[in-house]
Amino acid sequence: MQERANPAFYALLVALIFMAVGPIFLMFINSFKLDVDIIGGTTGLIFLPTIQNYETALCDLLWYEPDHLDFCSLKFGGAFINSLIIALISTALTLVIGCMAAYALVRFNFMGRDTVSFTTLMVRMVPPAVLLVPVFGLWNNNFCIREDGFAGMFLPESFFGRGGESCLAGTHGGIILIYVAMNLPFVIWILQSFIVQVPRSLEEAARVDGAGPFQVFFLVVLPLIKPGLAAAAIFTFRIAWNEYLLASALSDRDTRTVPILIVNNMSEFNVEWGVIMATGMLLAIPPIIFTLFASRQIITGMTAGAVKG
Amino acid sequence: MPEIRLDGLVKRYGNVQVLHGIDLAMHDNEFTALVGPSGCGKSTTLRMIAGLEGVSEGEIYIDDRPVSQLDPKDRGLAMVFQDYALYPHMDVARNISFALRLQKRPKAEIDAKVREVAEIVGLTDFLSRKPGALSGGQRQRVAMARALAKDSDIFLMDEPLSNLDAKLRGQMRAELAIMRQRVQKNMIYVTHDQIEAMTLADRIVVMHGGYIQQQGSPAELFKSPANKFVAGFLGSPPMNFLSSTLAMEGDTLFAKGQGFNIAIPAEKAKSLGRTDGAVTLGIRPSDLNHDPNAPDETALDLQVQVSEYIGAQSVLICACGSANVTVELKSETPIALNETLRFAVRPEAIHLFDDKTELAL
Repeated sequence: MQERANPAFYALLVALIFMAVGPIFLMFINSFKLDVDIIGGTTGLIFLPTIQNYETALCDLLWYEPDHLDFCSLKFGGAFINSLIIALISTALTLVIGCMAAYALVRFNFMGRDTVSFTTLMVRMVPPAVLLVPVFGLWNNNFCIREDGFAGMFLPESFFGRGGESCLAGTHGGIILIYVAMNLPFVIWILQSFIVQVPRSLEEAARVDGAGPFQVFFLVVLPLIKPGLAAAAIFTFRIAWNEYLLASALSDRDTRTVPILIVNNMSEFNVEWGVIMATGMLLAIPPIIFTLFASRQIITGMTAGAVKG
Repeated sequence: MPEIRLDGLVKRYGNVQVLHGIDLAMHDNEFTALVGPSGCGKSTTLRMIAGLEGVSEGEIYIDDRPVSQLDPKDRGLAMVFQDYALYPHMDVARNISFALRLQKRPKAEIDAKVREVAEIVGLTDFLSRKPGALSGGQRQRVAMARALAKDSDIFLMDEPLSNLDAKLRGQMRAELAIMRQRVQKNMIYVTHDQIEAMTLADRIVVMHGGYIQQQGSPAELFKSPANKFVAGFLGSPPMNFLSSTLAMEGDTLFAKGQGFNIAIPAEKAKSLGRTDGAVTLGIRPSDLNHDPNAPDETALDLQVQVSEYIGAQSVLICACGSANVTVELKSETPIALNETLRFAVRPEAIHLFDDKTELAL
């Protein structure tokens, strides 16, 4: 006899689904409404859909000039490209450094290995807000190339802005660097558990077959921890894509990312809800595509058949 | 087809010494089996030859070239691992060709080689499968093929059959013996299974506790074991040991123990060099024949405790005084439990071991 499920269970389920999907649905609907409709309290589904918000958001990318705009103030396209550059490069760097560090921590014997392994994770526990002030100071004052300094002699004059120096703050590199530092501990930690599962005899077999240390790593270990890399990539990309606090402090008007742009769209006098909703929808697309692509690599049982259990 | 020589090989893990000066020479095209119980150091020895374990002391020579400091890839050897160690993300063909691809050989040559070894081990139909889709025996063949493809003269095998079930193991053992005839290589085979060692090897090296106990051809080791350990390790069912005391009665030397008094053949007695003292008498089950009319001085009276029926033969575990003695008997012979049977001892098959040193006398 099949047990009848409690109706309360379904009610809870519906409530949870509503909480998860509701905001996205609301954002989707509102992105097609005019501000008047949004604020006017006509919460119903009956309204005249318009792509005006999307036109405003994408005005610097469009090939035509939307009728309702006389000036394209929102540089969504530029911010989007900044976000992509920063998120992709920092993800790639984090994975490359992370998998090598994790491999070393798992397979090599060296002094202080356990301490290193433990403290990497501890670093992850530091909230980004704590990092903000010191990093802002360092990026603006300490990591600078002066025009009259040694390295400055090899760089063109146009490289340097006001004050005769070029600092890490406000560059893509500055933000990428801090994202790599921020995500690395977790990636190392997650990849360690994947590398441990690669049977040691596989590496020994590869060594006997004539592989050097790097060939062992790239030809044997790396393909087997692909699921781990994919999981770490999704995680890292998501954080780098969404991060607001550090990016807001470390970017300038040329390097700002989409989350900063959205918030900047709110001013004291006017909150353009429709445009915010539209940029929000656009912001959500790349991580979804990235996750769909990366999650295909998450296949369980990668090492099946390698060794006799 | 090089000659491998181990010279005073020592292995220490911290303060624990697991190999105590192994001296061994393995010749051209010889199939050497390192055999011994778990933890005797046989796998460690093999892994040191392969270069997967460092050498604490001593040296390994391949054709008089010291190799103990070389990487595994520079020693020119191939190895089959106990757990197969197949690359799970590559199909069978790519597993087999991995070493060749690392050497950047031409593609046509690689393909030809893969086909050749796949045929030797009977994997031609499975070349595009991943290891995960193969059975245990097939995986074992892939591991074998991968090592064969490498074309190295030295072929190391670390308990290659121990993960297979009993029937498959017998089958693979026979295939290995056939492959052995086709492939002229210097093979070193580690096993804890004395049957594998006996059937496959040209030379058996029995190891125990990090020392070599004895080495020689299977027949030599079986017929004249150097000590009690080797005697008990080789042969199935294992040799029976009975404590006894030597005593002269008239012209004949007797080994006397609980419930038996067996005459030692004159030749053997002469070579012993002693006529008294405690010794261990060793007799293989196959050297005991059921014979109710055997004379007292060449017979054991055994009381049947357990009868293990295994088909044509039954293995009987019997009591002889306080010791247990295993004998084999044709299954047709009617026997009852607790019945006392008389078994004749083949006089030339008597082994005697010193009680203290356990060395053969």
